Amino acid sequence: MTELGKADFGLTTFFAKSHPNDKCGANGLPLTPNSIKVLGRFQRLKAVSHPNLCNYLDVARGKHERLMVVAEHYRHCLRSTAKSGKYTNEELFIELAFGIVSGLAHLDRIGITHRNLSQSNILLDHQGKVKLSEYGMYYMTEDGTSVAFPIGNHKYLAPEALGLGPAVIEDHTDSDATLTVPCGPKTDVWSIGLILMEILSIPYKNGFRLFSADGRCKDLELPVFGENGYSKEYLESDHLSLRSMEEVYYLWRLAGGDLVGALKKEGLTKSKPPIHLLPYYSTNEGEVFGQTRDRAELLDSTVVILSQEQLRQRLSEIDETAYYPLLEDEQSQVTSSLPTSPSSNDLSETANLPLVIREKDIEYQFHRIILYERLLKGYPYTRGHIWKEARVDIPPLVRAHVWGALLEIEGDIYARYDEIDKETPTQTDRQIEVDIPRCHQYHELLSSPAAHGKFKRVLKAWVVSHPQYVYWQGLDSLCAPFLALNFNNEALAYSCLSAFIPKYLHKFFLKDNSAVIQGKLFRLQEYLPVFSHLITFHDPELGNHLDGIGFIPDLYAIPWFLTMYAHVFPLHKIVHLWDTLLLGNSSFPLCIGVAILSQLRSQLLSFGFNECILLFSDMPEIDIQRCVQDSIKIFCNTPKSATYRQHARPPKKAKKEESRPNISYYSRDYNEQPSSELSMEPIPVEELKTEKCPRISAEDLIELGELSGPSHTKSPTKRKQNSKPMLLVIDVRNQEDFAKGSIPNSINIPFPTAFSPEGDLNPCSAVTSLNLHKVQVKVVVGSRGRNATNFAIELVRLGYQKVCVLHKGIDVLRSTNILTVPPVDL
Amino acid sequence: MAGRQGAQRPNGATQGKICQFKLVLLGESAVGKSSLVLRFVKGQFHEYQESTIGAAFLTQTVCLDDTTVKFEIWDTAGQERYHSLAPMYYRGAQAAIVVFDITNQDTFARAKGWVKELQRQASPNIVIALAGNKADLAQKRMVEYEEAQAYAEENSLLFIETSAKTAMNVNEIFLAIAKKLPKNEGGGPTQSRQSGVKLNNEQTQQSEGGCCK
Repeated sequence: MTELGKADFGLTTFFAKSHPNDKCGANGLPLTPNSIKVLGRFQRLKAVSHPNLCNYLDVARGKHERLMVVAEHYRHCLRSTAKSGKYTNEELFIELAFGIVSGLAHLDRIGITHRNLSQSNILLDHQGKVKLSEYGMYYMTEDGTSVAFPIGNHKYLAPEALGLGPAVIEDHTDSDATLTVPCGPKTDVWSIGLILMEILSIPYKNGFRLFSADGRCKDLELPVFGENGYSKEYLESDHLSLRSMEEVYYLWRLAGGDLVGALKKEGLTKSKPPIHLLPYYSTNEGEVFGQTRDRAELLDSTVVILSQEQLRQRLSEIDETAYYPLLEDEQSQVTSSLPTSPSSNDLSETANLPLVIREKDIEYQFHRIILYERLLKGYPYTRGHIWKEARVDIPPLVRAHVWGALLEIEGDIYARYDEIDKETPTQTDRQIEVDIPRCHQYHELLSSPAAHGKFKRVLKAWVVSHPQYVYWQGLDSLCAPFLALNFNNEALAYSCLSAFIPKYLHKFFLKDNSAVIQGKLFRLQEYLPVFSHLITFHDPELGNHLDGIGFIPDLYAIPWFLTMYAHVFPLHKIVHLWDTLLLGNSSFPLCIGVAILSQLRSQLLSFGFNECILLFSDMPEIDIQRCVQDSIKIFCNTPKSATYRQHARPPKKAKKEESRPNISYYSRDYNEQPSSELSMEPIPVEELKTEKCPRISAEDLIELGELSGPSHTKSPTKRKQNSKPMLLVIDVRNQEDFAKGSIPNSINIPFPTAFSPEGDLNPCSAVTSLNLHKVQVKVVVGSRGRNATNFAIELVRLGYQKVCVLHKGIDVLRSTNILTVPPVDL
Repeated sequence: MAGRQGAQRPNGATQGKICQFKLVLLGESAVGKSSLVLRFVKGQFHEYQESTIGAAFLTQTVCLDDTTVKFEIWDTAGQERYHSLAPMYYRGAQAAIVVFDITNQDTFARAKGWVKELQRQASPNIVIALAGNKADLAQKRMVEYEEAQAYAEENSLLFIETSAKTAMNVNEIFLAIAKKLPKNEGGGPTQSRQSGVKLNNEQTQQSEGGCCK
């Protein structure tokens, strides 16, 4: 990361070459717009960092294939500076030459050819250090094939580059674009030679030098920045200049920075009325004559300097200390980490605003980014802290790394990724190749050829390095959010994907050669009935209705769970959903499913089978923020063991140091806990399917019922009160057994006499008590036999919420000393 | 959910029958199954049609002489990995469209596999149509019309080359199927719907046996 220092943000604009209308590639699909291609290739430039190269910051697409590029910029270039005769000083001249060569050597190392070198794009910073700019033009336009204008100043171009003429692609296809011969680094060497020659031979007006003192010349040239052009004290008080360029640019945009607006202000976006661009004559075959060339499509190398004034003003009120927040404060361990400086005392209030607003609030983002940046530097030791902050929210700028931290990525991921063979053809290639061009292609970045290449490598890497698994359609969707976030970091994208899958989709993508496995989608066969139970648990009316019309999850929820919703939502919604998903355990996705259904509840209740299934054939608009909130609520109101799945990930073996203590009821997967005879046990899928309600384990009952002392709980996000489900235990055994020993505070409704012939509950004091505790989790307890299960089914039929059955019945508690003789009732 | 054809009969002169049929689309992935359905049902074509995971469901109604035929269309996932789900969708189906891509010989081989499986596992009088899709890419053709035609005749299938992109023969293939379907036992909505559900329940017991590979 390069600090901002005294750099400006420079904006340039140009047009990518537009394709002829309706032209299709060999695969029958329309050609990828050149601007998209450039956008994809540009991403790599963002990662280029060298003291003699200007950083590229951003690219955006405008109308009509317009591209806008933002890069580090300095107001002085070699052309203007050299005129002063500065470089007649041999030392300075050598320094200049060395700077240019260093920059180019770095480009050569990473395989980028400048081919656009000229005196005006060799910039000089305030210390006179060389900063090459516009070096990415030839690269991002794929050797100039994506634009209609020539690249490079003819004055400095090598003869072989000039001899090639304009770049031409023979065939208008995406895949087999054949370029004559791309230029290599040697062209750049020619250009350096010419430029340096020119500097040496500049005719200086001797008189000019005689008359003016050095200092005065500098004053004339650098009026804004004071003497020496660079002052340490100045920089030290300017905290913003010590932040990274990417960060400042991000804040600049939040402060209302607008690229198109900046161009307009400079008169760079004038375009002719389309009618002036019509050809005079056109044949039936589509050949046109007499079409004048739009001058706007030629390259205008003007650099618009983006003013940082507005940004600095917005941040001027912020206290200096906010730039250096304290992370470990012994006194305020428990208090909110948000600062309360005079200007930002409302930040904790901001934290309660909707996420979309928080993401646009510059001051809020500023604090969050600085905090996260510090925390990430301390990762993995700050994992607990990051986890805590992520429960508030994750700023988009740092999301990629925060996700990595939440997924507990560690170690040398780059070496590991490099070792994987991502090139050798495999049987899966065809499938991957047909899926990628259909995956989230509305997304500018992901639809570029550069993205397709990365997509393929990451997916192949996953398939190759997980021989026990196979590629499934849907894996591409899972990969998409990680790739979009880590576009320049395939290794991290791969690592996140590899960590995500076992966490949420443990063994879903298993190779199906095992004879024991019944049906290839057996994971889903357990997952889906559990999902049905959860629907019924939280919304019996909806559950009953969907059951009644036969609208089972198998018909609509498979893409939900196989892709963790990445196939059903657009990317901007997925990231918000996953921000929270990553904090929950492997049962959380089930809660999201229930939350989606509850958002569509009224429609679903009024629909029949066909309408229901049509509704989901195209995912209707879902308010994702609400969905996330509802999911959390559902999650917090569900006993852990109720979503038990035997096929969820088994506990990880002895982690040396547990950085995320299990202080909270919800922080850990049920499967990660040590199991005892009080725990949940595998239930055959067939049995699961015959039941309507989830089961609760004795262990959970003891913990939630606080039968052996108080317990700690915490919800997955911070803003909610610490909460956990409240229990009501309903004992359905006969009165005698109940009197001999039962769970404290349980109520007794013996099953055989519970219901009237009409199917209603016979009124009695216990039933009154039941109706008084409608919102509580109702644990139905029986002994052996199906009484408890059947009782629960009846309760569900009557519309009672949150009904579950104690797994293994009352007998499981005999070994504990929990059972007591109830006080004699009435 | 009536489409362009309209379920309501505007003249209403004769009391037409309403038949409901379950139709399933099968074939290798990326041959254009979802695109064919989308073209038929909504008259749309998406260049970058997303891959189907599990299956998708749509309905469309066509009018045929005095009969209104309502198709309940199950559009399945093409990848071999999802094969085990297929029986759930084709069981009880009265019609199937097996789709291949005329620019890819492998997809034709896979289509033959599907036909064989349907003949063995699906209801005995299922109407099967073979669709050679992507006919707009004829210049890249790898499967000759005659070859597919001969295969279709051997197996008494309907065969049409289609293009979801240009809409060529898309309505025609569905109409041809509608014509061939027996109109007296098509069944009302309840019967048809229940079949879908019951089959799903059977799926767990049968899924292993349902696979041909």
